[in-house]
Amino acid sequence: MGSSGLLTSLIDGILIGVVYGLAAMGLTLIWGVMNVINLSHGTIIAFGMFGVYLIFTTLGLNPYLTLVLVAILGLLLGVAIYFIAIQRVIDAPHLSTLLATFAVNMILLGVGTAVFTTNFRNVDYALGNIQMGQITVLGTRLVAALAAVFVAGALYFFLYKTRPGKYIRAVANNRAAAELMGIPSTQILALSFGIGTMLAAIAGGLIATLFPFTILSGGVYELKSFVIGVLGGLGNPIGSLAGGLILGLLESIIPIVMPNTWVPILEFVLFIIILLIRPTGIFGAKE
Amino acid sequence: MAILEVREVDSGYGEVQILWGASMALQQGDLTSLVGGNGVGKTTLLRTVMGLNHPWKGSIWFEGKDVSRLSAHKKADLGLVLVPEGRQLFTDMTVYENLEMGASNKRARGKFQQNLERVFEMFPRLKERSDQQSGTLSGGEQQMLAVARGIMADPKVLMIDELSLGLAPVLVLQLFESLKLLKNLGLTILLVEQNVQMALAVSNYGYVLAEGRTELEGPARELIQNEHVRAAYLGL
Ligand SMILES: Nc1ncnc2c1ncn2[C@@H]1O[C@H](COP(=O)(O)OP(=O)(O)O)[C@@H](O)[C@H]1O
Ligand SMILES: [Mg+2]
Repeated sequence: MGSSGLLTSLIDGILIGVVYGLAAMGLTLIWGVMNVINLSHGTIIAFGMFGVYLIFTTLGLNPYLTLVLVAILGLLLGVAIYFIAIQRVIDAPHLSTLLATFAVNMILLGVGTAVFTTNFRNVDYALGNIQMGQITVLGTRLVAALAAVFVAGALYFFLYKTRPGKYIRAVANNRAAAELMGIPSTQILALSFGIGTMLAAIAGGLIATLFPFTILSGGVYELKSFVIGVLGGLGNPIGSLAGGLILGLLESIIPIVMPNTWVPILEFVLFIIILLIRPTGIFGAKE
Repeated sequence: MAILEVREVDSGYGEVQILWGASMALQQGDLTSLVGGNGVGKTTLLRTVMGLNHPWKGSIWFEGKDVSRLSAHKKADLGLVLVPEGRQLFTDMTVYENLEMGASNKRARGKFQQNLERVFEMFPRLKERSDQQSGTLSGGEQQMLAVARGIMADPKVLMIDELSLGLAPVLVLQLFESLKLLKNLGLTILLVEQNVQMALAVSNYGYVLAEGRTELEGPARELIQNEHVRAAYLGL
């Protein structure tokens, strides 16, 4: 492969990696705030894909505009899931919350499969190529990556500069103390779950503009999200972006030296190694 | 009429009952001490007043209203504020952000600047360390921040669980001075203290808790003279 070919796949790796990072952000946010591992994460990513697909094909809206609608629906879905399934087990041991999100996943996946079948769909939308010298970048990839960075930046701003965002950090840090200071912690937890779900849905919507997908396609991204969460530290949105970047680069480099099938194996070897040597993640400081 | 009243409250953790008919009343503007040996249920009583533990029996009245079933954040909205044992700061957040979080309730938000000036005047150290992560403060500074955060909530009744525990004598004196200042501003204060001597010395009124119920109560200066209190809690 020539040097421009290598550069092209590195850039592709970075662009995809940033989107992976966004896909992981919802999972790590929910974990960081309420110590719940959301096993419905992947299916919600798939719902995001179908959301964009359906609105795009039926209303003919620009896919990036449909993302706004998908985000709002994702937020509402997440808040509903919190109050229906998570709220009553939030103080129970981890196994209970794990089972609760597992059950939510089975329901969502069941409904999704019944309604959409497991056939492939495709958002038929292109932005052409961007040519820079020898390097070619797909327009949709560039826009997806930029959108992911924008969403990450917005989340950072929200968490660190706005009052509700600070409430989320306070509840994550010490829920009882937050209650004592007048912060309605249950509402804040519901909001956090809603935002985590919204982020997953947005990520799914962006991915839908890149690759064909089925209702089962979210699972892959959920697995990647775990790897990224461990790389970037669970509960650290900006770390997720960096973790996604590393994963994207690995995926673009590994196939150069060995068959593609080795990619997931190496990813999970990396996952185990990091868990063993640095359980809080490379970028994460949180216990 | 008492601003805060606890009426024969039973409470505990899971199956374990800790409070057995505990009663207490705070008068508006008073500094009241709640003392008692280790593990008699002082913290449990404060947690139950706030709603972090639910009263199994009995009731809690604030400004003439039954607040027994209200959650902690609703009580904070009303002006009932607890500085919890062990400080419970937002350790990942800065000193300033902790103060902001203190002022979460609706009333406090309107008085943010005014209260901020007050706590910075009271604890200039906190102003200097405004942008520092609160988890990296010294123990004394953390206790100042815990009290300051409570004041930022603009309380009508401020309850402080173990103000002086584990702090150097100089700091203890400083914190007790700020307590007097708050009292002179008209705040109603409930103080839980290991340092019984000092607590009773600054208080108007006192309660002695033993085995989950009120064993003794009275004006602080009478309690200091009480034979039983002197023998059991003052080591005299
Ligand atoms: N979270 C808890 N679960 C079970 N028992 C507790 C818990 N917290 C305190 N206790 C018990 O309740 C009793 C009273 O504790 P506490 O109210 O903290 O006493 P004090 O503040 O007077 O030292 C103690 O016997 C203690 O062991
Ligand atoms: Mg105690």
